[in-house]
Amino acid sequence: MMPQAQQTTSAVGALAAPQDPLESAGDATTEAPPKQVALAMERLTRAARVIADIRLGADRLLEALFMAADARDQSNSKAVEFILKEESSMRQHFQDLRALGRQLEDSGVLNGSLKSRGNSWGLHMPLVCPDGAVVAYAWKRQLAGQAGASAVDRTRKRMLASDIAEDAKFFIRIFGLALKAFTDQKRRFFPHLDDEVSGDGEIGIAKKRLNSQGLIMSQREELREKKSLSDILKDLEHEFPNARIFTYQRLDWLKRASLLSSSAIENSSDPLKEQILNHSSNTRFGSVNVAAADQAAVIELLVPSVFRAVVSLHPAGSTNPDAVSFFATDEGGNHIHARGLSVHHVFRHVTEHADKALQYFVCVDNNLSLSLLLRWICSHQTLFSKTCSKCDRLLVMDKSLALLLPPVHRAYQETTTTVSSQTESTPPTKAAHPDHISAYHIGCSADDC
Amino acid sequence: MSSQILAEVCQCVEGFGSAAKEGRWRTTLTIYRPVARDPSSTATSAPVPMPGDLPRDFLGLTLHDRPGAYFFILRHHRLILQADANVQSLMDKLQSYKARVVLHFEGFQYQLGDFMLRVGKCVQSHADTLRGIMMEVEYLPLSSIDKSRQIMEDFLDIWQDAVIKKSLPGQFINVELNFADYGLQDQYTPQHTALQYATCIVQLMATVRS
Repeated sequence: MMPQAQQTTSAVGALAAPQDPLESAGDATTEAPPKQVALAMERLTRAARVIADIRLGADRLLEALFMAADARDQSNSKAVEFILKEESSMRQHFQDLRALGRQLEDSGVLNGSLKSRGNSWGLHMPLVCPDGAVVAYAWKRQLAGQAGASAVDRTRKRMLASDIAEDAKFFIRIFGLALKAFTDQKRRFFPHLDDEVSGDGEIGIAKKRLNSQGLIMSQREELREKKSLSDILKDLEHEFPNARIFTYQRLDWLKRASLLSSSAIENSSDPLKEQILNHSSNTRFGSVNVAAADQAAVIELLVPSVFRAVVSLHPAGSTNPDAVSFFATDEGGNHIHARGLSVHHVFRHVTEHADKALQYFVCVDNNLSLSLLLRWICSHQTLFSKTCSKCDRLLVMDKSLALLLPPVHRAYQETTTTVSSQTESTPPTKAAHPDHISAYHIGCSADDC
Repeated sequence: MSSQILAEVCQCVEGFGSAAKEGRWRTTLTIYRPVARDPSSTATSAPVPMPGDLPRDFLGLTLHDRPGAYFFILRHHRLILQADANVQSLMDKLQSYKARVVLHFEGFQYQLGDFMLRVGKCVQSHADTLRGIMMEVEYLPLSSIDKSRQIMEDFLDIWQDAVIKKSLPGQFINVELNFADYGLQDQYTPQHTALQYATCIVQLMATVRS
């Protein structure tokens, strides 16, 4: 049985934001003409793609190693073939990357002073960078938009290129280590990965939580049932009758967001109009819901009068969430999208916490991440009524922020542990009913929340 | 009842930390009195309303953030009407009602995170005597009265705690209003605000009388 290929998250997400701005502007003495800039950008893009392929290959290899480790005899030979095939394609990828690196070096984008930058793996971990995806994306756009390179942009491009080079080195190292460990016992995989990778701590802890047996079992679950987007949404609708869920193509969402801004002002005194608006958008996009689920790139979760959450999927039609943001139901405008921020403090803080939850869900269980995320989002329907599990109050003045806020942090570890334990217990009870998900004020959050 | 107390209340708000003073605001409430007409002076064939038919507690309101709208409230009939601000000139021309008392609510506006607070005094126009001190609290992220009930109650508790520490003579009273009586719905609108000001005035007068 061939192991299913795991979905890969965008290559852009693999690039981390370097923390310190470089002072090496003095290195560039000549003005880079626009053509060279475009060429360098193109090479960087290709390098990013190669790295994504390397990541995918590494994931596949690890999965195959897993399967081989506790599979029955008949699938062993297939796993070995698969590994050999992957190994040759990985070698090819690395050769491509080296070639690209040399080209970039020759064109003057990379230079020696940058290569010798220190090793800060904690910040460069490719699996999770809560800001990395956004920053790198913004940079790419910014760089692409500014054809005429200023000194600052050149510096940034060099930083981007050096990050790619360092990521590639990281992959080479980790791949070598993984292969070495396989010749020993299977159990030594995780300690090796944890030592290398968990500089940030959060993902290390997450992996330690799920013991190796739990992970194997959930992987089996993954491989057995990979739910489609419409299945996930249907389940969600059954579980949360309050929430209204819509899917959109990306452009359609932008149109709706601008509609929201005009309606928010006028409809405040006319609830009937708002019903009509919602109904018309529903029927307009309602048929899109069913027909074009494979093009859905934006999910809107509306809990009337409480909040509106926007989740973006990448690529369109898949079940990979890559951004989430919360807004007030009356809020309108062009900033209403999965990477925008609400004007209200309460929703800003919820969004900030949601970013962490999203990264956690993606890291822990990629195939279930969307349904976990959506259920977690729906648990916020009690945002303005559920008291904090620690101090038992609703509205509290947060001393450090000097803001009055309700409990904006909802625990996300609880959802996953009960889901994984559910696979072991025989009566299939509902996993972590969202009313039981604890809510905390920012100041009351437990350390591991 | 003095400006000193108002200053203390303002200090209380500022004591919350991140309250940013945003400027002044003013809402005007007018209590109308019907003008008694002399039946012989009218030349029209329209029926002349008898003084007894005219409503007694007719209120008109201009809100601070809606200068283009004018609100009419008939409390005993439980009616509220939103009209264009030009209706005031119409009223002048019709001469069917005269302004008996004009009250101004004015003061400072503060933004405290997601809360918009307006602390002000109630003065009678042309008299400058302080009738009362009031505060308007708006929670911006929510528009549903039902959903924001707990948040508002909690805020009131926090506010009362803060005010008690100042040991001012008197306390803030919040009068709950049943909006459904006036035909208003859960979604908060300026009409709700107008009604709340009207209730505030009634409360004020009731307290003054007792």
